[in-house]
Order: sequence, then C-alpha cells, then structure tokens
Amino acid sequence: MSDPRAVASTLTAQPIGKDYVMMKSRLIAASVAMIATTGLLLSGCSAGAADTGEKQLTFMFRGGEDEKAAYTTAIKAFEEANDVKVKIIVTTADDYSTKLKAAIAGKQIPDVFYIGPGDVQAYVNNGIILDITEYVEGSDTLDLDNIWDYGVDSYRFDGSLVGQGAIYALPKDVGPFSFGYNKTMFEAAGIPLPDPDVPLTLDQFVDISKQLTVDLNGDGELDQWGTGLNVQWSLQSFAWSNGADFLNKDRTKVTVDTPEFAEALQWFADLSNVEGITPSTAQAQTLDTYQRWMSGQIAFFPVGPWDVSTYADLDFDYDLIPYPAGKTGESATWVGTLGIAVGSTTEYPELSEKLVEYLSADPTAQQTLVDAGVQIPNLKDTADTWVADSTTQPANKQEFLDIVNDSGRALPANNTYNAEWYDELFTNIQPVLDGTQTAADYLKEAQPKMQAFLDDANAQAGIG
Amino acid sequence: MSTEVLRTKPRRSRLHRREHQVALLFIAIPLIGFLLFTLYPLLYSVYASFTSWNGLAAPKFNGLDNYIKMWNDPYFLKAMWNTLFMMIGIPIGLVLSMALALGLNRKMRGTTFFRTVYYVPVISSIAAIAILWQWAYNGDFGLVNQVLDIFGIQGPNWLADKDTVKPALIIMATWKGLGYSMLLYLAALQSVPRYLYEAASLDGAGTWQQFRNITMPMVRPVTFFLVVTSIIGGSQIFIEINIMTPLGGPEFSSASIVWYIWRQAFNNLHMGYASAMSIVLGLIIFVITVIQFRLNRRNQFSID
Repeated sequence: MSDPRAVASTLTAQPIGKDYVMMKSRLIAASVAMIATTGLLLSGCSAGAADTGEKQLTFMFRGGEDEKAAYTTAIKAFEEANDVKVKIIVTTADDYSTKLKAAIAGKQIPDVFYIGPGDVQAYVNNGIILDITEYVEGSDTLDLDNIWDYGVDSYRFDGSLVGQGAIYALPKDVGPFSFGYNKTMFEAAGIPLPDPDVPLTLDQFVDISKQLTVDLNGDGELDQWGTGLNVQWSLQSFAWSNGADFLNKDRTKVTVDTPEFAEALQWFADLSNVEGITPSTAQAQTLDTYQRWMSGQIAFFPVGPWDVSTYADLDFDYDLIPYPAGKTGESATWVGTLGIAVGSTTEYPELSEKLVEYLSADPTAQQTLVDAGVQIPNLKDTADTWVADSTTQPANKQEFLDIVNDSGRALPANNTYNAEWYDELFTNIQPVLDGTQTAADYLKEAQPKMQAFLDDANAQAGIG
Repeated sequence: MSTEVLRTKPRRSRLHRREHQVALLFIAIPLIGFLLFTLYPLLYSVYASFTSWNGLAAPKFNGLDNYIKMWNDPYFLKAMWNTLFMMIGIPIGLVLSMALALGLNRKMRGTTFFRTVYYVPVISSIAAIAILWQWAYNGDFGLVNQVLDIFGIQGPNWLADKDTVKPALIIMATWKGLGYSMLLYLAALQSVPRYLYEAASLDGAGTWQQFRNITMPMVRPVTFFLVVTSIIGGSQIFIEINIMTPLGGPEFSSASIVWYIWRQAFNNLHMGYASAMSIVLGLIIFVITVIQFRLNRRNQFSID
C-alpha cells in the first residue's frame, strides 16, 4: 500500500503482460466468435416459444403481493380456457415506468401491459399500442355499458384530445379519491354526523375541525386534529369545487392564475397557518397524518379504495362523505385509473385483446380482485352488489361510485403529453404552505413557467 | 516466461494451446459484456444527446439544441449545485473515518466488535437504509429529533425543510460510507512500518508530528483512492434521494443531477435531453478525475 501507483493501477486497467502482443489476433478472433455465438443464442431464445407450437403472451404490470396473487389466480383460469401460456412480469410501482420504457426502447414491447391515461397520447402517436376499438365493440362477452364510462373514456384518443375517439385500453380499475371521517371521534365529541350526500361548506368544515382540534390528555400539547391533507392530492378537489381549474378546455393554457384558484390554495394553506387545525405546517408533506389518522388522532382524511383493506383493521369506525365544497357548492375530486393495453408488436393481437378484456371485465376475475380489497369493481352490476354489502366498512360505499359516475374528474396531467407542467406547480409551493408567500403571488409566478412546459409538451405531441 | 524463450521462436505444446484457448474464452466474457453493455450504450447515448428523442419513437437529430437548453435550464443548474453541495460530506467522512481508524488501531478490548458495528451500514441495502433514515428524520416521531429533544433542542422537520434536507442527506451518506473508508484506513495504518515511528520518537518527534509526517503521507494512496471514488460515487447519488424525497425535495432542494436525468428520461419523455445531461455529467467526472491523477502524480514519492 505504500506505493501510490499500486492504488492507481486498481483504478485503471491492470498492467498488460508481454504475451499480449502474441495473443492479440487470436483474441480478436475469439471475441468475434463469441459475439456470433451470443447472437445465435439470443435469437434462439426468442424463437424458442414459437418452435414448440405453444402460444405465449407476456403481461407486464406493477403491484404489491396482493395484486400479484390475485392476478396469478385469475390468469391461470385464462391460460386453461385459451390454451396459451401467459408470462407474468411484475415490478414495483416505482420501477414500472423505467422498466417498461427500457423494454420499449429495446423493441421488446410486452403483449399486454398497464398504461396510465397520461401515457395514451405519447404511446399512440409513437405506435406503441394497438387500437382495440373493433375488438371491444364487437365482443359478445363484453358489454361496454356495464363498465364505468370514466374508465373507458380515459383511454380514448382521437389524434388530438384524450377522452374521445378510438379505444386504446380497458381500465384495470378506477380509483375514486374519496373523503372520510372518524365516526367514533364525532360520537365521542357529541358532534352530529355529516350528511353522506350533501357536501359540507368550507366554513362548516373548518368549524367542525376546530371543535375536534383539542388537547385530550391536558398536557398542554394538541393530540387530536381536525384534518391534515397533502397538497398534492387534495388541492385539486378544493380548486375544482371553487370553480377553478388547471387547464382550459383545449389543454393549451394553464389557468392556475385565476382568483378562484388562488382563493382555494390560500384557504388550503390557512388550514394550518391561520386556523391551526392540522398537526403542523410541514407535516402535510409527510406521511405522518396518514399514520395519525390510522391511530385515531385525525377527524377528516381522504380514503381511496386501495385503503379499504388496510382500514378494515382500524380501531375506530369511519365512513365516507363528499369532499367539502367551495364556492360552486358542488363537491369535486379526482379519480385515478390504470389501463391495460395491447402492444403493437404482439404476435397474437386477438389473444392479447382477449386477455385485456378478461382482466378488465371478466366477472370471476373481477370478484377475485374485489375480494382482495384492492379495488372497486369495474363492472356496474358487480359494484351494485358490493355496495349493498353492509357487513364491511365503510357503510357509504355508494360515495365511491358517485364519484366515478358523477363528481370525479381526471387528474390534471392525465390528458397531456407529459406531467412536467403539473409537477412544476408543486415544486416550489412550500413557502405558500409555510405562510411566507401568498397563494396569489405564488400562482402568478408559477403560471408562466407551467405554461412554458405545457407548450413544450403540446409541441412534442404535435398539437396546440 | 523467461527471456530466453522469447528470443527463440516460442514452442507451444498442445496443452499450452488449449490453456490459452480456454483463457481467451474467459477474457471474452467480460470483453463482450463491455462491448455490448457499456461501449455500445455509451456511444448510442452520445448520439442520442444530439437528438430529440422521447424513448418511444426513433430519435430525430436536432444538433446542439439539448446542450443549449441545458445551459438555460434552472433545474439543471440547481441539480448540479445540489450534487456539488452534498459532496461536502466527502471530507467530513474522510476525517471521521481516519479518526475512527486511528482509534480502532490501538490495542484495546472490543476493537473487533466496533469494527463490525461501523461496517454494518456498508453491507446494508441502500434502499433499506434510506427508508430507515426517512423515519429517523421524521419531524415529530423521528429518532433524530427525539434525541435532540432530550437536550431541549426543537429539531426541524428535516426532509421537508429546504435548508435542512441537504445536511440530512449528507449525514446519512457519511454514516453509510464511514465503515468502508475506516476499513481501508485501518489496513493502511497497519502496513506503516513500525521502525519509522521508532526512529521518529528517538529523534524526539511528538504524537502530532508523527501523525503529520509519517502516518498522513503513508496513507496518502488510500486517501487518494477514497477521494477519487467518493467523488465519482457522489456525483451519481440517486437512490437515497429518490426514496427519501421522491419529488426532489421542497423547492427542488435535494434533487441530484442523476435524479433529474432519470426524471427527464423516464417521466417526462425527454430521453434525448437526459442523454445530453448524462454526457455532460460524464465529462465533468472524467475531467475531475484526470486533474486528481495529475495532482497525485506530482506529489508522488517513494521510500526505498
């Protein structure tokens, strides 16, 4: 170790011996041979499945253990019924987009895979996914009217706007982002339960929250709060119900600099800074409020269908209500969704489409997934029986369906070429939440930057 | 192979030939791996950096557009600055690991135990560590703030505050890398010849002088190695950022350059732009490393 060069040589290549010169030509010959062999091996792999006459589809998706188990069971039935082998590639939610894009760049598009509504535009324009309209509309086993409109429409694209035109995917699920309250806490405090059908006004919401923000054990520190919302997931709701929006109808202009939008964001920030009904300003950014809600310290909190299985073990009762509504008086919130699409290079388009239909709309497959508690049913008739089931929480499951049918909207970036313009809104929002900048000032600053990103995205998509 | 054999025409036995063939096969595997999985992608990304490419369709040549865009992109510059800032952890880590190595190099009980303790973070998965520290940094329940609370200090919400998120990441990275540097220093310390210290103490050199004039120069190669590899590793910091602050931190304050590249490539469909940024990052690392090697060569010495 005393010779510095010893270390240097570990960083660069090892010194090369004299034999090298003699070997050089043979080395090249050998490497060429090896490359040729590797090439043969690789091409052999892809041809292998076809040679044996067995059909194989690849299905790439993301999800946790629950989903993997549910899908494996469902797919086994599909394999038997259609005499086909389905190769499952599952990734974590974080890895999915990286792995899928690597597969696409490597010209190895899976036969069937998940896409988000935000991907539709780019994937269609670049010929990555197949138009499945003909199959879907012609299928005897599939009744489009029985699937949520929102779920199907999210994957329609007419060449310029997402939401109308040909169908490119069927929904894997729809995820209405609903609002819940801690029923046990309300009862203990003697506060009348909120109406399950009429949204609270913003003032009522703050009022109730104030009554529930208390120091229960008398140690001088608050240990129960009205709410604690994450700006990234809840701002949409308050902006929309206040009459504001993120984009104009054509999706060519960012409209966050309106007074309605500023009012909604300011009100949101004031929940912590002025009203003091959330744990603390910075907490809205972390998962803490989620943990606090689950340990019964928070009165109002968002509830998604994916939470229902976890919330079944809570020590308190909870139920769903519409999101509190701003100026318009109409509650609004977003509905997430993932779709299942067919890759354009598939050898078996018909079979792939059948698999999509099966995963999205087969009653038995749906039941398996709903029973796992990870999603609400895609089929309206299955959903009706699910809502009527009074043995499981929450009692007001109808609220989930109302959101999907009625008050729910797509997340703002779902229908644009990419989400850069939308992410920009949240990148520098912290000073507003901390109360050191007014919402109006911030939004005025942010709008031009967001607009530039949107223009860029629209230019890439060839619209606007 | 002796010189005599080289001068005459080399005779090769069949065994000799066979062994060479087998050896070539062994060499071929990493070589092909390098050509296929390193050189080809590298060249391709150089090409991609001059194109507008969304990663889905074929790249379209657009000259220097990406490089010009980069120069005017405030987030690129901020991400570069953040990455540079977080390298403050490198000298801190070196000083701490040197101190630890000196301590653990003494003859006392329990050194093996402590060496193991400090090495555990090194072999742990970075993802697990990031999640662990994310909890530790939690504003209310986090271990870090609970400890500060004992001393009556109200800790910040580390990861949600733009002024504390970088220090928080630096502390974590330093903690994680400590064991590795310490182990290398320990090995270096143990290979310093004892007679140098004996001679020095006979000449009346004190502990500090011995450390300054014997220990430091003798472990220089290790310091050099650690500085070079830490800078290369530090410029590529990504996993902990992506796990602990998935949106790049409050006001983009913890976004590293690799995180930004990844986001542009895979979330925003700007594969060409991302390639251009990677090329720039690669060049920067390359230049820094060359400079370091130059400086090191100038300061070389040997003892005979």
